[in-house]
Amino acid sequence: MLLIAFGAAPPALAQAGREPQAEQFVQTAAQKVIAVLADRGLSIAQKKATFHQAINELADVPKVTNFVLGKYARTVTPAQRQQFATAFRTYAEGVYQSRIDDYRGEKLTVTGSVVRKPGDVVVNTTISGGQLDRPVVVAWRVQGAGGSWKVVDVQFKGVWLAITQQQDFVSTIDNAGGDVGVLIAQLQRDAQRPAAGVARN
Amino acid sequence: MTTARYEGFACRRRRLAVAGLAAASAILAAPPGALAQPDSPAAAPANGELPPADLAATPYDPWRGANQQLFAFSMGLDRGLIAPVAHGYRRVTPQPIRNRVSAVVENLGEPGTAINHLAQGHPRRAGKATARFLINSTVGLLGMFDVATGMKLPPRDADFGQTLGRYGAQPGPYIYIPIVGPSNVRDGLGMIVDIITDPVSLVTGGVSTTLGATRFAATTVDSRLRADGAFKALKDATDPYATTRSAYTQRRAFVVRGASGEPDVLPDFEPVPAEPPAEPSPVPH
Repeated sequence: MLLIAFGAAPPALAQAGREPQAEQFVQTAAQKVIAVLADRGLSIAQKKATFHQAINELADVPKVTNFVLGKYARTVTPAQRQQFATAFRTYAEGVYQSRIDDYRGEKLTVTGSVVRKPGDVVVNTTISGGQLDRPVVVAWRVQGAGGSWKVVDVQFKGVWLAITQQQDFVSTIDNAGGDVGVLIAQLQRDAQRPAAGVARN
Repeated sequence: MTTARYEGFACRRRRLAVAGLAAASAILAAPPGALAQPDSPAAAPANGELPPADLAATPYDPWRGANQQLFAFSMGLDRGLIAPVAHGYRRVTPQPIRNRVSAVVENLGEPGTAINHLAQGHPRRAGKATARFLINSTVGLLGMFDVATGMKLPPRDADFGQTLGRYGAQPGPYIYIPIVGPSNVRDGLGMIVDIITDPVSLVTGGVSTTLGATRFAATTVDSRLRADGAFKALKDATDPYATTRSAYTQRRAFVVRGASGEPDVLPDFEPVPAEPPAEPSPVPH
């Protein structure tokens, strides 16, 4: 399934205002992800499957996968691209599922949004309650139009996760002399590691 | 401390402060492109205005070799010494006590924060920081309880690196300071100025006094525990050095934007290339 950029949207007047549909999307989809992880009734396998599905609904996975390769997205072979997509997905799900696993019962509240350009919106939210003593401010960069939006990046304390991931991966490929295969192998190795909280200290 | 010793101490600090401010003015006076990434299109603005921080650009790191070595050394030191001390502290100290220590450490930073808000031209923010300090030091029992946040006075940090950035100083080359962590020329200088001009240190004395040393130790362990999430996240990175550099640079750009109000520059997400037509699988003859 191809996911083409939002070029299909009609050209709109440049606005610096809010985008309520994007806000609504983040409120629903992101809250769902948090709820999945907070659900103690699910087995580990069930949680993984539900989390996988929730991420598909929340994020534009192909676009993000393409983005994190940086300049190498243009030169990677189709076979490597497919390998990388699988390795990256498994790696990212493992990493983020274990990180968000610490959060229980938190609530996500949309506080506003900024239209950067038509089809490119940053939705601002706070996550509070549960184990947090202070509300955490999280920004979501969503792209799309009308009722159809997808998350492409998340900002926490000023740091964009996809941008940081891109810098990480591009540096690894640079150090390997441009060989994307080295990065793929490392991601596959990292995905094999036992879950956080057990072996990691 | 005897009067004579205090005067000598204050005199040294004044000289260092003057030197620091002289260096700071040199950075401020530098043309906008001088400290920016040389190969970035943002390095040479046409109309003399400062370019907004391009968050996706690789940070300017001309001393990468040295930085990588210092990073590796610091990670080893953290694994071997600092992390065990911080985690040990966490193990033996109940959460409520750790929260009190955190609150005191944060409160002692408020006077310095207030000065920087003022220097950045935000008198209201400076007033709030001062109010926070006074309320938490009295009602909050010497800073142990952050009651000010409940009074609509949430914390809002400010530092001299941010002040320099607010007036247009670019970060300059990325530097990794052993043990302290990632920094850049502007923020490293800012850190030195903050240390020298810290009002609380001027009253309690430097690290050579018991009070100063205790504060230093508490701040170090508290900071390390606050950063524990980030350290854990580094274990997932395929290139921890590049990850640290990117996250730090973005964070500081965000902090400076909080003072200057400038918008950020976000990268484009390219459309995903169309998949090539499926190649026919080789048919064995």
